[in-house]
Amino acid sequence: MPPSIEFYCPCLASTPHPPPPHLASSSYSFHPLHNLFFCEECDAIRCNRCVMVEVSGYYCPNCLFEVPSASVRAEKNRCARNCFMCPNCRNTLTVVPSDPPDTGAAIVNTVGEPPFFLYCNHCRWDSAEVGITFEKPTGLAAQLQKYEDSAPESLEFERLKEHYEPHLRASPSTGPAAPHSHHTHTNPITAAASSALARDIPGVGKYTPHSSSVGRNRSSRNKGNYNEVPDYRARVEIGSSNFTMGGGGETDVDLMKHLEDMSEIATLEQRWENSWMTSLQTGDLKPLRIPLHSKKSKRCPSCRHILIKPEQKAQSVRYKIKLVAANYLPAITVSLPHLYAVLAAMRKPGKTPQLSDIESTMHAGKTYSFQLSFTNPLYDPIQVRLHVQRSLPSSSMAEDGGGPSEKRRPPFSVTLPSSAFPIAAYAEAWEYEDDEEMFGVEEDDFDGGGGGRGGGREQGRGRTKTIGILERRANVTVIGGEVAISKEARGNIKFNMLVSYTYRSDDSEPSEEQSTPSRAQVQNREPEMKTFSFYTAIDLGTIIPREEHKSDAMEY
Amino acid sequence: MQPPIYYSKAEYIETDTGNKVSRRATIAGPQNIILGGKTIISSGAIIRGDLRRTGPGHAVVISLGRYCLVGESCVMRPPYKTYRGNFNYYPMKIGDHVHIGANTIVEAAQIGNHVEIGRNCVIGKFTIIKDCAKIADNTFVPPNTVIPALSLFAGSPGHFVEDLPESTQEMVEAMAKQYYTRFQPDPNEPTPAPRR
Repeated sequence: MPPSIEFYCPCLASTPHPPPPHLASSSYSFHPLHNLFFCEECDAIRCNRCVMVEVSGYYCPNCLFEVPSASVRAEKNRCARNCFMCPNCRNTLTVVPSDPPDTGAAIVNTVGEPPFFLYCNHCRWDSAEVGITFEKPTGLAAQLQKYEDSAPESLEFERLKEHYEPHLRASPSTGPAAPHSHHTHTNPITAAASSALARDIPGVGKYTPHSSSVGRNRSSRNKGNYNEVPDYRARVEIGSSNFTMGGGGETDVDLMKHLEDMSEIATLEQRWENSWMTSLQTGDLKPLRIPLHSKKSKRCPSCRHILIKPEQKAQSVRYKIKLVAANYLPAITVSLPHLYAVLAAMRKPGKTPQLSDIESTMHAGKTYSFQLSFTNPLYDPIQVRLHVQRSLPSSSMAEDGGGPSEKRRPPFSVTLPSSAFPIAAYAEAWEYEDDEEMFGVEEDDFDGGGGGRGGGREQGRGRTKTIGILERRANVTVIGGEVAISKEARGNIKFNMLVSYTYRSDDSEPSEEQSTPSRAQVQNREPEMKTFSFYTAIDLGTIIPREEHKSDAMEY
Repeated sequence: MQPPIYYSKAEYIETDTGNKVSRRATIAGPQNIILGGKTIISSGAIIRGDLRRTGPGHAVVISLGRYCLVGESCVMRPPYKTYRGNFNYYPMKIGDHVHIGANTIVEAAQIGNHVEIGRNCVIGKFTIIKDCAKIADNTFVPPNTVIPALSLFAGSPGHFVEDLPESTQEMVEAMAKQYYTRFQPDPNEPTPAPRR
């Protein structure tokens, strides 16, 4: 694993400080920079776990038809054109005609001979096996949907909907979810369903997501209404004999008893794609209409401003609104210069460098330098200050380390330049420079000695200067740091780092001007200067324990 | 920040538009192949430009955009089918910033921009891959599959795994450009090759 860096989204924590990086749970709070969003209104990082997701359009992933949302419901969220999924291997099925009769070779029917059936050209499954053939090669989805809709569960569901429909229409609309709610799917139907569940099954209430204050208010307000709904009587009794295939009843037990071949039972994955419970037998699998995909727009969970809004066209990869963190926060890459030295050495005798060989070359008891390269995405220069979160003499390290003496000392210590350092502004022009010589000349005189790029330079510099600004070019600044690994250390060198950067906000983000009064606290001496801080987790790689430890471990 | 990838200057031919083509790659029917510029064809790759549509005149069989990479030992050949009794090859169009991993076989009809295809994949005949899609390593994509934009496909047969992040386009573009910059002749090479 090459060294990596991930960015912190504070949505899961109650404090602004991230959990210690070696805890397994911390990985849920850290994300690669390109997966994060940035809300300008709240001045905060947002991640995929905390944003509110709304569907902005549906399309079929096979025929790429954009399905209007009105017909999505009628077509049961599946493609109503000629797109089918193989129930056996999930590949797309093709419509094939039967073999033409041998005698009349002259009659060339362009569409082929009926009956038509669906054929998988990956696993060779065909729908004739399960007795599904078609007279015409068109409109197959409608025929299949008819079959789907006649399933007892489907009919039951329709009846349930009919039963509750007048009540839902009568009940006052709950309106859009409250601004601070994380539950994006609160609509009258789910609210009714969950509160009905909470009422009918004791103990469920406290596990439903609506136990938040918002949900409670709503359900208590509506409670009176639900009691007025007349009782619903199921058309089919659960567990009745004609219905239990795959439902875990006697028939299934019977089937299992006489099972001779494992492949007779469909795998969970094969049954999972079905809307309704189906037979356990592989022989009963039916072709499936392909489930639709959706394009999603994303909103900030606290201020509801849109962070992502895709273009209407399904296959367009452009966005009308796209507030991604990569456009606001400096991108950081981590590298270990000694790895490149190893690489260069390996290359000399004519071997091809293999990344796997250099996976972990951090030995316990030694000191290594590492480099952080910051790239400024803003059109203004920024000042960056780094601060390493001291890792607490923690439990988990000691647990897998064993010895009690290890508890007191942190396994490694990180040194980074403590003073702020500048990164030049991003300029469009640099994008067009494909010649790499151009990079060097820009601002080489800042710390002297541009030198050639690549392994040689990093080696040479590593010896003369390891901490501080190593290089400045265009909108990139390279910072050197050092990590001293203690003799007893093991595990990964992983630490949290707080990055604070100060920027001028006047012309780069004009939309923020309205919101400046509310953000007065972040403004220091000059009215335009602002500071934004975020946490990152850096993983430099695995420490190779000392030899004696290694042999110890072997004995165990 | 990543280290350069050195190649032997003797092995690669660099064109005026910055394409770098290995002499160890097999390029059949080069008159039917278009490279957009700054595209790298690695050693051992086989590109079948000779499998052209029957009929008179000039035919483009395989076209690649800018900043593409055809990995080591890849096979790129146009898809074919028999339509109304006539056997024919059909052209293959590949967009910009498309990386194809080593040992992958591609018979797609169309590959959009900013697509990443992993190693050891098979991309079946007439596959259509939309923009910013990604095919994981060791994926088998059956013939006639459509891979929608911004989706990750994996498995055998390849199927949809997840949506890719919104910034995929920028990331792939940066990666492809950086790869081209990193891919440079070995400065320590003892004998510079005679230019042809």
